[in-house]
Amino acid sequence: MCFLGFGSYFCYDNPAALQTQVQGDMKVNTAQFMSLYAWYSWPNVILCFFGGFLIDRVFGIRLGTIIFGTFVCVGQVIFALGALFNAFWLMDAGRFVFGIGGESLAVAQNTYAVSWFKGKELNLVFGLQLSMARIGSTVNMNIMGWVYSRVQDLLGSTGHTTLGLTLMIGGVTCVFSLTCALILAYLDKRAEKLLCKKQGKTGEVIKLTDVKDFSLSLWLIFIICVCYYAAVFPFIGLGKVFFIEKFKFSPQEASAINSIVYIISAPMSPVFGFLVDKLGKNIIWVLCAVLTTLASHIMLAFTFWNPWIAMCMLGVAYSLLACALWPMVAFVVPEHQLGTAYGFMQSIQNLGLAIISIAAGMILDSRGYLFLEVFFSACICLSLIAVVMLYFVNHLTGGDLNWSAKKREKLQKLAAAEAEEQEKLRRQNEDDLAKLRPKDHISLRNRYLSRLGAQLPANYYSHLSTLAHRSVLK
Amino acid sequence: MPGARGLVLGALCLLGALGRPLAGRREVSMHFNPGWNDSSVNLLHVQAVGANSTLHYVWSSLGVPAVLLLYTENEHSTLHINWTQLLSPELAGAIWVEPPSSVLHASAVVFTKLFEYDGANASDPAHALFYPPYDLATFSWDSVNQTLNRTALTAAFWGTGPPGTFRNGSIAFQVTAYEESSRDGHLPGLLHTANSSKLEFVMDGVAPRGNSSRFMLEMVMVEGPGRHRRLESVRSIDDEYTPTIFEMVQLVSEPQGTHAGPGFLQWKTTAYGAREAKRENGIRCRYSPLREVNGTLPGPSIAHAYFGKDLGGLAAINISFGGEDGEIYAGTGYLSWSMLLGFGTPPEDAFSPLVVAIMAVALGTPVVLLVAGAIVVLLLQKKRYSEYEPIN
Repeated sequence: MCFLGFGSYFCYDNPAALQTQVQGDMKVNTAQFMSLYAWYSWPNVILCFFGGFLIDRVFGIRLGTIIFGTFVCVGQVIFALGALFNAFWLMDAGRFVFGIGGESLAVAQNTYAVSWFKGKELNLVFGLQLSMARIGSTVNMNIMGWVYSRVQDLLGSTGHTTLGLTLMIGGVTCVFSLTCALILAYLDKRAEKLLCKKQGKTGEVIKLTDVKDFSLSLWLIFIICVCYYAAVFPFIGLGKVFFIEKFKFSPQEASAINSIVYIISAPMSPVFGFLVDKLGKNIIWVLCAVLTTLASHIMLAFTFWNPWIAMCMLGVAYSLLACALWPMVAFVVPEHQLGTAYGFMQSIQNLGLAIISIAAGMILDSRGYLFLEVFFSACICLSLIAVVMLYFVNHLTGGDLNWSAKKREKLQKLAAAEAEEQEKLRRQNEDDLAKLRPKDHISLRNRYLSRLGAQLPANYYSHLSTLAHRSVLK
Repeated sequence: MPGARGLVLGALCLLGALGRPLAGRREVSMHFNPGWNDSSVNLLHVQAVGANSTLHYVWSSLGVPAVLLLYTENEHSTLHINWTQLLSPELAGAIWVEPPSSVLHASAVVFTKLFEYDGANASDPAHALFYPPYDLATFSWDSVNQTLNRTALTAAFWGTGPPGTFRNGSIAFQVTAYEESSRDGHLPGLLHTANSSKLEFVMDGVAPRGNSSRFMLEMVMVEGPGRHRRLESVRSIDDEYTPTIFEMVQLVSEPQGTHAGPGFLQWKTTAYGAREAKRENGIRCRYSPLREVNGTLPGPSIAHAYFGKDLGGLAAINISFGGEDGEIYAGTGYLSWSMLLGFGTPPEDAFSPLVVAIMAVALGTPVVLLVAGAIVVLLLQKKRYSEYEPIN
């Protein structure tokens, strides 16, 4: 199950690991290079809403996972073929197909996890899945350059053929993931037969009309999400050449530092998740994360200080934000709208990523890295503005986003106790009302008969409590 | 304190006016072969007249391509050339300036050789295998008169190698003179002053002798005695005008003892592989450390014509073009590298106002919002408290 997502995450960041090679061999400028990322995001703008639906209603979890795994594999192969045939449009098409499979595969992976581990070590499983995903990205960053140079030695020259072969080798991980999907489907089918377990469902209900009911706090959370991720992922995509040119790193070192964000987030995500769960005060954590990212971008842009510091800060902030931001949605949205809210958040996140990726590429070509970093800092500042506004809106409307965990627990207990009391009152009221309600003819007849002492079947005793002590019916 | 700051600023301005020449406007005039009718020789005299000073550039492909830079503190100084002596083997003293005492700075840059090396296993030239070099003294040059453009103030020296080499390719030294300070429109947008000129070295269609050949150009700095040279690499965080290039190299030569300004050569560590210079066809450009040349400068050149026997400490530097595979000349068949040559302190890049504005707005708005929000919250809380009546 963990290796299911490995191939998809491995191949997602292939362009970043091979940026110079792609730009050199395919002779494209940075804007076109970033379109490789944009094409991955475009299908997910719409597919986020339908992923759950497709898995629940149309395909079922087993077939769905296999189909999405196939899409990932085929997409990567088309991507590699595009490089082999020197057709950049084919590479874009390959990324598009890859994108169709990639995000939905993540949904399928989560559904499998819930279906197999609900009520047991679910958090651990999610953590492990996330770690495997991050390991996939890290491995990609660090070895693809080496694979390329090996293939280059084999073929004796650079060019699109070398790139194509390298990407094909990368596609082997996707085949591996597909194999895992097939094995998982077989195991799940076996489990169904042996344990009489039903096929897992995502349980998501998406209703697009709910969008108009979203509160201001939720829209602010969306803005924070889009602006933040738009300043992190495209930066990692373009980061390798930045470190080579500005800080005079070797390509291997540049790949390593580019992957440090993922390496840090693998162990820190569960730690931060635990921390935020224990302490609450989500908005403060989000504020800290955004400020840290801003500091990190400013350090990279305006100083020559060792970039390891800035990138480590970025990694920590990225994990912290993920742990603090996504649960906030659950606090401001009623449960029946949760699926729609998360789907919408993913959708505009992908839309933002697609647009900003291309914008970042264009800015780099015309104005250079300083301007690009200033642009990313401005995005983070926009996110910061949204956090500040969210804090005040939450404070002024008496919202509960920024409660500490103890307070939330206390209030939850209070709310639970109150709910219980209300329930009791309601039942009592109902009982009283039931006594005063005009009876229908059957109950009147039964009452008359029971007063007479006739034997009635057990299910006709509607007010046993009042007659039991008379020992008439014993 | 504003008072102290004003004083310091005023003092700096005064110092600037006293010590360094103002880089104001100059009037540039270009003369091809002044006083000589034969166009088989190429000599371009560019005269830039400013307030109280004149800059004379003499560009020539006589012998080896070279440029002579003369700065005089007299706006009426004139350059004289004895052509018969210049075209003879004894050309020492064939070029001079009247009045000779007004010359504050004289230096020459001579381009001697074009090397080609095989960079397959190591793109660093120190460990590479070299092909026989091209000696620029054996090249034949087209007439500059055909490419002279007096409105755009540009000219180009196009040359081809000895027959049998280059196969229809040619190299060129393209000269651009400037009348005022501004920034070059094409990459690598070098910021220039009126005291400088741009030299662009171009290789077009030169057939490389191997699949992974890289090229290297050798320049020799010639100056009078008593000068102190340093090669510095200026790293800046600003790459707005040359995307992804953060390093600028300057070779500054200061006179020892006098207060005359320094002369400089300045370039960005990048070359471009297409006529339309863009970031994606950038070619990495490396430079070797400055090395002292013992012995004499080979070949006749206008440097000998001006300095005569006065050639003090020659220094040579090699500029190599080509980085990782795929980023070499052989891939595109075109190479262009620009360099600024001038007098005074080398110009420095600064942030563009757009960057400053964006950062100010981006960082300022959250702070303003935070403060405004805090005020609003405090006011509301106060209002709430004031609604309670004390129970006393």
